[in-house]
Amino acid sequence: MADQTSSKPLLEGLTPLGSPDALTTAPEGGEVGFVASGWRLALREFLDNRLAVIGVAVLIFFVLFCFVGPLIYKTNQNFTNPLITTLPPSSAHPLGTDENGFDELGRIMKGGQTALAIGFFASLIATVIGTLYGAIAGLLGGLIDGALMRLVDILLSIPFLFIVLVLATKYSATVLEESLILGAFSWLVPARLVRGEVLTLRTRDFVSAVVVMGGTQRRLVFRHLIPNALSVVIVNVTFQIADAILALAYLGFLGFGLQYPNTSWGDMLGNAQQYVSSGYWWLVYPVGFCLVAVVMACNLIGDALRDAFDVRLQRR
Amino acid sequence: MIGYIIRRLLVAIIVVIGIAAISFALLYLLSPSPVYAVLGAKAQPAAVKSWNLQHGYDRGELAQFFTYLGHLLHLDFGYSYKLSQSVSALFKENAGRSAYLTLAALILSLVIAIPLGIAQAVKRNSIGDYAATAVNFTLYSMPSFFLGLILIQLFALDLHIFPPTVSDSITTTWQAFTHPLQLALPIITLALINVASFSRYMRSSALDNLGQDYIRLARAKGLSQRAVLMRHLLRNACLPMITLVGLSIPTLLAGNLLIEVLFNFPGLGLLFYNALGNEDYNILLAYTILGGVLTVLGNLMADVAITVADPRIRVG
Repeated sequence: MADQTSSKPLLEGLTPLGSPDALTTAPEGGEVGFVASGWRLALREFLDNRLAVIGVAVLIFFVLFCFVGPLIYKTNQNFTNPLITTLPPSSAHPLGTDENGFDELGRIMKGGQTALAIGFFASLIATVIGTLYGAIAGLLGGLIDGALMRLVDILLSIPFLFIVLVLATKYSATVLEESLILGAFSWLVPARLVRGEVLTLRTRDFVSAVVVMGGTQRRLVFRHLIPNALSVVIVNVTFQIADAILALAYLGFLGFGLQYPNTSWGDMLGNAQQYVSSGYWWLVYPVGFCLVAVVMACNLIGDALRDAFDVRLQRR
Repeated sequence: MIGYIIRRLLVAIIVVIGIAAISFALLYLLSPSPVYAVLGAKAQPAAVKSWNLQHGYDRGELAQFFTYLGHLLHLDFGYSYKLSQSVSALFKENAGRSAYLTLAALILSLVIAIPLGIAQAVKRNSIGDYAATAVNFTLYSMPSFFLGLILIQLFALDLHIFPPTVSDSITTTWQAFTHPLQLALPIITLALINVASFSRYMRSSALDNLGQDYIRLARAKGLSQRAVLMRHLLRNACLPMITLVGLSIPTLLAGNLLIEVLFNFPGLGLLFYNALGNEDYNILLAYTILGGVLTVLGNLMADVAITVADPRIRVG
């Protein structure tokens, strides 16, 4: 309440960025060609990047392929069929069948659902924890910040794969468990990024303005600091998804996959090891291609977003 | 300088104690006592109780942790009840081979990545630069074991140049060293994974340096391209690699684990993997802590080395 009544007189005479007035008042030091909100500019920059658009297209394709595909291409993925194991590709089974007689194309769709879901949920968990943790540490500062960030240092020093594998000996059977163990140990980088961003943001005038206007801590964090730090977080999310899908592949390869008959690309690729020497290439390369394509798409999008949000790199 | 190192060492010791505490706590939650591994899953409660009492597993968590910490100080990592050996003896037996694999891969990746990055920067935006970037990007998005599978298919099964897995007769570090053909594929796979990220940094570092005045001066003096690159650019452009190598220890350890499992190469990674399957928690705990310590040491050594190598960096 307090900040609403007092905000009007304070803001009088100021033109917010992106309003029509800002277009006419060029700042000292040069002409401004185009002024829009940071988000608009970033979107334009992003769409100009051809690789990024390809990345988005690939990602959309795989989401449709995995989640809508099974509705069109119906296969049996529940009951093994010993009569049709490891058949090479044919018209009945475009990518052949696996060692249990499952249709491989349908299997890739099913494995993709879990891989994409785990990648998404793990990065969501990591981002939410990391953003809140980093924002709180950066805002409180002092001894509490020191203690919170030392904990991050310690956790970052423990090799990610080791600790996740150790937990996976007990918890890796369901999508939820895998998302949780991957998410629980990948929030450290977003926490560091958000804290760094908050540290520079909190000395800015608009934060002082919120404080002077009597805004609560909660309002400051959720309405002002986190939205302003969001660009860093969004860039990180795409890399998080890529890393989570890769980590999932490592878990699957080392034998800590989802409970049968559920599967993920990681588990399928893990099984692939034994088929290379038997010559069952259709059980190895199609699923590997899908996994690499999705991870690459996420990395491309992340790179493009980072360039788009980075003002210093603009107008290269 | 010495003050700086001492200060960093003190912080590192605190971080290492934190690593030990968190790893210990996590593993304690998973398995408070190895008693069932020793006496069997159907052991009588009375026998369990007396075994725990005898081996100190009946005491409080904190007391157990401080005992463990005390043993760690004497390089006593506990006892593997599955393999009936002390963990430190197992480490001593396997560390040499793992170190050889990792160091050989690290050196090979630097030997490839440094010239590649410089060449890419010199011939930037050429077809070769784009091709190298594309290959690096693909490798970067690829699970290391999948790259290994492709290389096995190509060089072992199709071309018969290298063996697909490391022979069981390789049991000592010296044998690993004297049988380069056996170790070729694991080393190449591990190296290529690192080349992907190293050459990316090397390219951007070389690009930064190529725009500097000292390069223009060297050219103005009439030095040949070779002399400019070898004598002036190389040293300066390599500085970020010192930090990068120091920070890549967790990646190297994880890669080491996956490659050792894929090629069945007896080292610390394979020991860890087998311990995962056997739920041999003393080995898991010890290797996790060792990984954390190596990570901290890597960071520390990189920071010290960079201040020695680069006089522009001053320490307070």
